[in-house]
Amino acid sequence: MATCLNSRFPALLAALTLALTAPAFAQSNPGEEKDETAVAEQVEALKKKVIRLNRDLFILEEDLLFPANTQVAVFLSVDAGKFLKLDAVKLKVDDEIVASHLYTERQAKALERGGMQRLYVGNLKTGAHQVTAFVEGIGPDQRPYKQAASLEFEKGTGTAALEIRVEDRSSDYQPSVSIVEWE
Amino acid sequence: MGLTVIKPFRTRSVLFTGALLWLTMVAPAQADEPGPERAKDLRYGWALYEYHQGNVFEALTQLAVAREQGGIEGHGDHPALVEGGLMLSWGMTREASKLFTELLGSDGAGSTLSPEVRNQAWFYLGKVFFLEGNRELAGENLERVDGEILAEANHDLFREWVYLRARVAMMSSRIEDVSKLTSLKEQLEDTDIWSLYLQYNSAVAALDAGDVATAEAELQTLIAIIQQSADSAEPEAEREGLLDRARLSLARLYLRDGRFDAALEILGDMPLNGVFADQALFDYAIAAAGQGRPDRALDALDTLSSRDLFLPWRQQVPFARAYVLEQMNKPQRALPAFRQAADLYQARIEELDIIRNRLTEESLMAQLDFTRDSDGILTDSYGRLRVQPSDFGMAEVLASETFQQALAELNELYQMQSFIAERQSRFESFRIMLETREQQRQVRIAETRRALESQLANQWQTLHEEFRETIATALAEEDAQFFMTAEQKALRDKLNEVEETLAGLPDDATTARQRETYRRMRAYFDWWIADDYGLNRWAAQKQLRELDREMQHFQAQRQRVETLMSDDGRHAELARRISASERELATLGQEVAVALSNARRILLSQVDSMLVAQQEELNGYLVASRHAQARLADQLFRRSQNPGAGDE
Repeated sequence: MATCLNSRFPALLAALTLALTAPAFAQSNPGEEKDETAVAEQVEALKKKVIRLNRDLFILEEDLLFPANTQVAVFLSVDAGKFLKLDAVKLKVDDEIVASHLYTERQAKALERGGMQRLYVGNLKTGAHQVTAFVEGIGPDQRPYKQAASLEFEKGTGTAALEIRVEDRSSDYQPSVSIVEWE
Repeated sequence: MGLTVIKPFRTRSVLFTGALLWLTMVAPAQADEPGPERAKDLRYGWALYEYHQGNVFEALTQLAVAREQGGIEGHGDHPALVEGGLMLSWGMTREASKLFTELLGSDGAGSTLSPEVRNQAWFYLGKVFFLEGNRELAGENLERVDGEILAEANHDLFREWVYLRARVAMMSSRIEDVSKLTSLKEQLEDTDIWSLYLQYNSAVAALDAGDVATAEAELQTLIAIIQQSADSAEPEAEREGLLDRARLSLARLYLRDGRFDAALEILGDMPLNGVFADQALFDYAIAAAGQGRPDRALDALDTLSSRDLFLPWRQQVPFARAYVLEQMNKPQRALPAFRQAADLYQARIEELDIIRNRLTEESLMAQLDFTRDSDGILTDSYGRLRVQPSDFGMAEVLASETFQQALAELNELYQMQSFIAERQSRFESFRIMLETREQQRQVRIAETRRALESQLANQWQTLHEEFRETIATALAEEDAQFFMTAEQKALRDKLNEVEETLAGLPDDATTARQRETYRRMRAYFDWWIADDYGLNRWAAQKQLRELDREMQHFQAQRQRVETLMSDDGRHAELARRISASERELATLGQEVAVALSNARRILLSQVDSMLVAQQEELNGYLVASRHAQARLADQLFRRSQNPGAGDE
């Protein structure tokens, strides 16, 4: 009987010793480890396939909805931060509001860090069109700020891409909004 | 389903590997590569927009779309670097490694990117492999970093780099790595937190190799350094945590060697509110018992017994408490304590039996609290889910790297499943889009047909043919009159009129002068027509050739329109792409289902193994408690039969 008791106490000590080494050397058995590696590689291969498939579906959807000869895309870039904190943008094409967006802090930061948002994609016939963007935010001196920019452009037979540029203008410490056409 | 995912691939992390890479990439003071302040390519700008929001999947998709549509211009190797960073953030380490190696060259110098950026790419790649436990690839990539440049560009990263290389060297069995380890250790100041971690890991490694003396010395040195550098600029909590861990480890070494006084001294220095306070208290009880101070041991164990949370290591407490009571020669208190311990172990074993029998993904997930925001479960910088156990019995298995990885993989597979389901639902829309497109095309075709009909194309064609034949006949007959100009024709008509008038007048002296004039004029006219024949014929032929050309052009255009109207190749191509994508998605769905099943099996097997180990340990304590009960009951019975033999 006493042997049993005594054998438990050293067992406690042995457990303690194991506990010391456990954090650094906790390992699963080799079979399981192989399984886990296989799953990790499988998951990575699946991720690659998912990206490829999503790419194909994205292109397919664009081809279906916005054929190249009629496609018009409007992007927004923000090269500002000092004089404007972006809140919202509204977009009109030929006097019709086609897009409006309220920005979260994360989205505004992403724009300030060089990202470009595809604000709108649609179809337009060849010929002359007018695009107007209304930009709202907090301007200099923490005052609400609103500015619009307009562009008349000729839609040809290829894809048209426009960029609404929100920039800091150091000459008068004001933000500026412009629309440019990408070649 | 246990691990519910609301939005596919919306894993948001505050700071992810790619962002670290990017942050240092955007501000290279002396770098030659174009700054990223304004995207020169719309698709790249779009990818960056997703990237800076932590939408890794969307960003990777945009980069893949850009590549498919001709690539990104004006940004050199940056897009590839960003893609590699994104892959690292999303656990695609092998792909990232392949991409970086292709991009930077295996010697790290095959790119226009600045050495600072290249360094960071290799550093993060190496670090991720290290975290995944892939020592070989970790070492390979970390060795590609240029230490001098890294030290100058980012000293914090340099220190971590030295630590990681030292850890890799520590795990190596190669002899040359021993001297390398020494030289790496020398590159860090003794009080540097990385050096302290290294020292601790070195002690653990020595212990693992059976070198207890070295382990002890290492731990003693570590404790002394931390204590002496208490006012260091490093975060105190981190140092305090490491100090407590080192003390606990050293105390356990002393306990193992039966050096209870030394253990008590170390444990006595540990704070009661520290992370390891409970474990220290238990060790203190063992040390006190070993030192022959069971009363102190009992106090410590009583304190531990009052804790609510059940942790696997704490299951020793009830047995230890009863044991100490027995050591204190209090069999009447020890007997119920052993009985209570045995009952507790028995109950816990049965409870674990039930848990094991009912162990499913749902029941497992019910034991875990995931930190979520509106976008789903939050992850750390390396894609591991932010999770806490709601049952602290799970804490041990949850803390293991393999479980964390398996859990993250399971979550990612669910995200993929969610993505597949969402995309599958779109195919019906795709078909409707295609059908609408076809309907619009048919409407346009009908309009075009009406327009073509209004052009009377066939009538024009007939006229053209007739004109051609007439000219051919006139040419064959050398009919000069046919090719006369409008002026000549007017003159001919005039002459004919004159001739007709003269024919109606008497042929005498009164009209002789006019007839003579007419004859001269007619003769001149005939000569003129004959003389101009070549010129007029050429002009008419030229006109005919131009007409032929125009008619050909007209016919070709008409033919093209007809072809376009009859050809549904584009429609067929789109339909083919839709079907192909649908098939691919279905296959992917099956593959994800298989992977999910594997990941689920591995995860549950890990938990089950942990539960089995717990049960085995509990069973040992149960048996020992039962034996102790029998022994004590026997002892008490014998005492009751022989009252004079002494009491507690």
